[in-house]
Parts: sequence; C-alpha cells; structure tokens
Amino acid sequence: MNLDLLEMLASGAHGMIDSGLLGPLEGYQEASARAFGLTLLVLGEQLDRAAATLSDENAALRELFGRAAPRVGGALAGRLERAAAGSDPALGIRDLEAGNTALRALLIELHVRVEDAGGELGDLEDAIWSELARSTERRRVSVAPF
Amino acid sequence: MALDPQAFAAYAAHKLPDATDIEVAAVARIHGGASRETYRLRLSYSRGDERVDRPLIVRKDPPASLIDTDREVEFAAYRAFRRTRVPVPEALWLEKDAKWLGSAFFVMQEIEGFEASPQRVTEPPYSEHAAKLGEHKWTVLGEIAQADPFALGLDRALEPVDPAVCWRRELDYWAAKLERDAGSPQPIMQAVIRRLRRSPPLPPERLGVVHGDYRTGNFLYDREGAIHAILDWEMAHLGDPLEDLAWSLNRVFHWAHDERAGGLLPRAEAIAIWERSAGRRADPEALLWWELLNTVKGQAIWLAAGKEFIAGVNRDPVLALPGLIMANSQDRAALDLLGKLA
Repeated sequence: MNLDLLEMLASGAHGMIDSGLLGPLEGYQEASARAFGLTLLVLGEQLDRAAATLSDENAALRELFGRAAPRVGGALAGRLERAAAGSDPALGIRDLEAGNTALRALLIELHVRVEDAGGELGDLEDAIWSELARSTERRRVSVAPF
Repeated sequence: MALDPQAFAAYAAHKLPDATDIEVAAVARIHGGASRETYRLRLSYSRGDERVDRPLIVRKDPPASLIDTDREVEFAAYRAFRRTRVPVPEALWLEKDAKWLGSAFFVMQEIEGFEASPQRVTEPPYSEHAAKLGEHKWTVLGEIAQADPFALGLDRALEPVDPAVCWRRELDYWAAKLERDAGSPQPIMQAVIRRLRRSPPLPPERLGVVHGDYRTGNFLYDREGAIHAILDWEMAHLGDPLEDLAWSLNRVFHWAHDERAGGLLPRAEAIAIWERSAGRRADPEALLWWELLNTVKGQAIWLAAGKEFIAGVNRDPVLALPGLIMANSQDRAALDLLGKLA
C-alpha cells in the first residue's frame, strides 16, 4: 500500500489549525500554529499540481514563442526559436521551475517588443495576455480572498 | 526574541523618575504585526498616593519585516492624528536605543476590548453590522484625506514631495522593491509597471497624508459596527489620498470572498462614502492608476515576505502566508483591473 502523502500533509495541517497536534495553546502561539497549519494546507494544494502546472505552462509558452519568432525579427527572434524548440529535461518541480523562470523572463522581453510595435502585433499581445490569464488560473489558491 | 518584563520595567523607571513600585505583568505577543513585533502588557506603578495601572502596546523592531519602515514615521502619525477626529491610540514613548529591549521600539496606549481580525468581520455578530462598519471605515479614510499634513506638523516627519510627481516616487519605490525581492520574473506586474509609466495620473489638488496600509485588519472595531482606533501607520507618507482609497479597494482584501471591498461594502458605495467625507471626487482614471500601483505594491510586499521566510531571517508564519496566498490573488486583481481576467 502506498501512503497518500498529500493526505498525510493535509491531516497534519488540520491538526495544527485545530491546535490538536501541539496541545493546548493560546494567544500568539495558537495563532502561529494555525497559520503554520494553513501554510501546510496551501503548500499541499500547490505541490499536488505543481508539476502539471509548470509543465503545461512551459509548453504553452514554447508554443507562443514559436508563433511569435517569425513576427518579431532581430536577435529576439532567434532566442524565441531556440526556446520554442526546447523541452523540460526532467519532471522534478525544481527542474520545471528553472525552465519556467527562463521562459517567463523571455515572455517579458517579447511583451515589451510587442507593445513597442503598437497595434501591428496586436494579435500577439492578445495571445500574451490570454496566456498570463491562464497562468494565474492554473496557480489559483482555493482559500484566497480573490 | 521575546520582551523581557524586567527590562521593560527598567525602561519605565527611566521614563517615569517619580514612579515607585513599578510592575510589568501579562506580557503577551500579539499575532500579526508584519513590520514590528507587537506585545501587550500591563504597567503599574505608584506616584505619590496614586496607583496607576496602564494597558500598553510595545511595537518593537524585528530582525526582518514585510516592509522597511521607519518607527519615527509611525510614532509621529499617531501623535499628529491624536489631535484630530481620526481615532488613534495615545503614543507615549519612542526609544531608538537598543540597550533597553535589544532593538528600537515605541510604546502606546492599548485600547482594550475590541476586535481587529479581518476575517471576523465576515462572521456573526460582526457581520450583522458590516455595512455600518464600512460606512465608518470609509468616512474615517475621508477624514484622513482631508487632514492638512502641514497644519499637523507631519511635514517634519514625512518626506515632502511635489504633488505633480508623487505618483513617480511611489512607483519607483515599489517597482524597485519588486525587482529586488520577487525572486522570479513577474510578467503581469512588469506589464502593469510599463502601463503606469506610460500614463501618469492627474496630480492631487494638494498634498495629503496617506496612511499606506488602510484596510480591514488595521483598525479596532466593535460588535455594533463602530471603529475605535486606526492602527499600523508604519507606511504613512505624503502623497495623493486616492492611493489609500485604492488600497482599501484592493480585491485581495475581499475577506468575505464576494464583491464587497474589505468584506464590508460594494465598491461603488465605499467610493461614494469616501467622496462625501473627503469633500472631493475620486477621478475614475486617477483611481484606476492608483489601484494598479497598489497591485505592484501588494505584490512587492507579499513576495518579499516569502523571501524573508525562506531565507530564515524571520520564520514567523505571518511572513509565510502572504507569498503563498496573496501573490496569485494580486496577479488576478491586476488582470481584473485591466479587463484581462480569464
């Protein structure tokens, strides 16, 4: 039998939120235990989907760069082409995160170039905003106020 | 780092040379306080035939905080607004010498018996008076907007700025902080920053006091919907009062998980109350600019908190949660303001 690690994490988190794990607490200690419990709960939610989120996002950004490269020209076009041809070497969260960081940095450069072009690359700007909106939805936190 | 009752008693003896039989009791740390360690305690002493018993708050510099703030600013703001209709606790002593408690601190009156939690406004019995609390919240904010910083003497504690470029000072500061502390590329916030630089807001007619963190959670309220003290002035500065209104409307503070700003009132009602109290119109374009600026400010604060927590400089959980919970909400709030939300 494989233990469900995320369920285990959630159980521990609820224990801290209810202060049951740490015995009777009050004041600052109780509030801190609850806050750590909530931290673990949110971390569990994020870890459960982190690999899928980053993998999907990296693929979406590479696809976007592939479409953008022939339109923007210059040295940026070459970098976009190379990024579009890339792939994630491993599925560890830190590996995926490193790739994602590089791709998001390149996305900022592309966004600046598209804005500077005025309406000429309007469809690319729409595509960038759509991907940014999808990115925030992928990473949405269930307990957040908004 | 806890607060040593004996050390505080020694400090009180230094500040109150006529006092005898000084006792410090019931020292307890208060959860929250992202920029200071906050403690409550009871100070009692004899002065002649009189026995004095005072509930006090001590705000002490921590090893790391969400925001880099100047305790003198916060102390000066409490002192200045004590002379106005804006409810604030009495600020007593400001101490910069670390020899007393291990770091700088200031002491103020504790106003007892009220609630501060942002979540509790959404729960009975407080939620039954949410609209009344909202009316009071944005009325007080309008009174802060009306305050003349020069008449209050706050121009000596808060750095002056030309009203025409107060927007640039805030944008430069928060954009730089985001750049320094984000730890990863922020394509949404960078797009917001570029837009803000392209289209500055109309300047305010005159310079005002900006509280800097005016939101549900930073005031004391009762069960009947009244506010008894505005707290946490550590980010106070001179600028456009619209900045405070915008921060109070930030969607990351929609604690009731609905359309009510601060968990209290719909946005349009909050703005109308503020306009009546402040005696000025909230220009929609300028307000949108300041709301977008505040998404950058918020994101800079939430991500810096996570960075400090991970680095282990300060492992208070109050630093862990913002980066985990608020950062994504802040991006979504920016997209919402830009009409780009999925």
